[in-house]
Amino acid sequence: MSDAAHAHDEHGHHAHPTGLMRWLTTTNHKDIGSLYLFFALIMLFMAGSMALLIRAELFKPGLQLMHPDFFNQLTTMHGLIMIFGVIMPAFSGFANWQVPLMLGAPDMAFPRMNNWAFWLLPVAGVMLLGSFWLPGGAVAGGWTMYPPLFIQGGVSYDLTILAVHIMGLSSIMGSINIITTILNMRAPGLTLMKMPLFCWTWLITAYLLIATMPVLAGAVTMLLTDRNFGTHFFNAAGGGDPVMFQHIFWFFAHPEVYILILPAFGIVSQVIPTFARKPLFGYASMVYATASIAILSFIVWAHHMFTVGMPVAGQLFFMFSTMLIAVPTGVKVFNWVATMWKGSMTFETPMLFAIAFVCLFTIGGFSGLVLAMAPVDIQLQDTYYVVAHFHYVLVSGALFSIFAGIYYWLPKWTGHMYSETLGKTHFWLSVIGMNIVFFPMHFLGLAGMPRRIPDYALQFTEFNQIATVGAFIFGFSQLIFLTVVLKTIKGGAKASDRVWEGAEGLEWTVPSPAPYHTFETAPVVK
Amino acid sequence: MDKVDSNGCEEGVSATFVFRSRPNQSLTRGEQRVVFWTLAMVCLGTASGFALLGYWPILPFAGLEIGLLAWAHEVLRTREGAYETITIEGDKVVLEWQAGTRADHREMNRRWARVTCECASPGRNCHLRLSSHGRDTEVGQYLSDEARLRLAATLRRKLRE
Repeated sequence: MSDAAHAHDEHGHHAHPTGLMRWLTTTNHKDIGSLYLFFALIMLFMAGSMALLIRAELFKPGLQLMHPDFFNQLTTMHGLIMIFGVIMPAFSGFANWQVPLMLGAPDMAFPRMNNWAFWLLPVAGVMLLGSFWLPGGAVAGGWTMYPPLFIQGGVSYDLTILAVHIMGLSSIMGSINIITTILNMRAPGLTLMKMPLFCWTWLITAYLLIATMPVLAGAVTMLLTDRNFGTHFFNAAGGGDPVMFQHIFWFFAHPEVYILILPAFGIVSQVIPTFARKPLFGYASMVYATASIAILSFIVWAHHMFTVGMPVAGQLFFMFSTMLIAVPTGVKVFNWVATMWKGSMTFETPMLFAIAFVCLFTIGGFSGLVLAMAPVDIQLQDTYYVVAHFHYVLVSGALFSIFAGIYYWLPKWTGHMYSETLGKTHFWLSVIGMNIVFFPMHFLGLAGMPRRIPDYALQFTEFNQIATVGAFIFGFSQLIFLTVVLKTIKGGAKASDRVWEGAEGLEWTVPSPAPYHTFETAPVVK
Repeated sequence: MDKVDSNGCEEGVSATFVFRSRPNQSLTRGEQRVVFWTLAMVCLGTASGFALLGYWPILPFAGLEIGLLAWAHEVLRTREGAYETITIEGDKVVLEWQAGTRADHREMNRRWARVTCECASPGRNCHLRLSSHGRDTEVGQYLSDEARLRLAATLRRKLRE
């Protein structure tokens, strides 16, 4: 008998299953990364289709296509799926693919838990989407799940609570894995302050997830017991406090906003230096700025609730603490611009998306500053200005960074170059479409159009029509993205190991496509 | 006693040769404890705050999460114990290894032991094996390719002495 074989077995080098079983049982970080990314892609088209239905209904005042209750179901599910089914899984996909490659680690620290963390997600996704077919339809109280609406709905509300629990469990398992991998599996010589910024941003994101997920789980459990077991945590009829739900929810959800954007900062911080052919300007300040944003995210939650009534001192505290976040964010934007300054820049698709991210995310940041001012926010609360603000942050911020990351690492993952022409077409249609959809919403909000309504006053018609045209341009341009991804997986020009001239880091030292097992022995970083 | 560090570099010359290697872990046990308690305190602190306000159902979820963290911490601690030792003393070559709860050892006659080091490409993806009587045992699994090549040279020399 050969002990070599035995030793190999112990380290997981044995032949892996093929077909469906490969994907169900895989513990390989690259497979799981691909699963996360495909899941996010499918969910993007689901939630995107809901957005197109919403915009189609809003093309004209009056009710055209659907019942108002179904409209509310669509807005709620669009929000929930985009956040928990698209952006978060996509970033987890990047983390799974890239963190071990960037650190010189053979895999994630807990590969089996990694498999579980992924496979919980489709279960939750099916529960959310399946609730459309339940009596009373899907949840319609908004993704924020506020009582009293949320304690009055049908059975789909219970199912949504269960889905949120499952997604939360998946996030916690993923976060523990990422923290352990980053802190404990770095290659010898790769100190924390030498780590790629993408790993730093994910490390901080994982901390945020671990700190906030029990709060969300507790909050939705209290909703569940209020609904089914006669408790009155948030039920005013029984002496509960519905406003307290908002405090608890936003204590989770404001850090969640940064969970949705910090990995985006990491991706852009990898892409810009590559195509500017310069090291990232102010690396240490980027790390400290990311940590500062994360810490501040815990003390700003009530800026979402200026209209519920709070003492002036409270309003001032939350107003100023919110404005303070602009400082580390400004540091980041300055550093990205300074990295590009006098760089030998080229404008491949990932760089185009990264530049669009910097410009458009900054617009979202500025409208956030406007909303941070309590007296202004009281006017703009629950108007389309808020919708414009968070879509500039989450579409041109989070989603564009995901596109940048996909175009940047796709050649490394597949071994093939994508079509630059199709990539650039996708970029320009997305940027133009996205601005046509969301920029007029600033004007709609300033003019007083409330969010989450299927019908509106006549004076809002033109801006709504422009937004709907933009939505269809933006929505259908994502089919180009799908084509690019599928074509690149299938074939294309061979990608070199170091795909981009200016690329630095351990992931570019392995062949393209990255072999199934990489860094079986840790490389030494000098 | 000769010792060789985990990079395969020899530290001295005498009759007994011992080589010991461990898997790469960036965190010391103390640092692991700091990571665990930082996360646990933040979670528990937040949950306790809400519990004091009457919203106690957050507390059990924080507890479950800390439990999961504790399990992860324990697994890391177990993995810390993994090692591989090669001892050449007199006529004997003794291989010992432990990974998780599994431990084993093998003895070979020094005169019959052979060292092979095969690389998939020059200097990359190398497999170092000690073989005797038709059985081979892979060693140096926690080492880099460079360190494996250095260890192979050292072992060949020591076996000849």
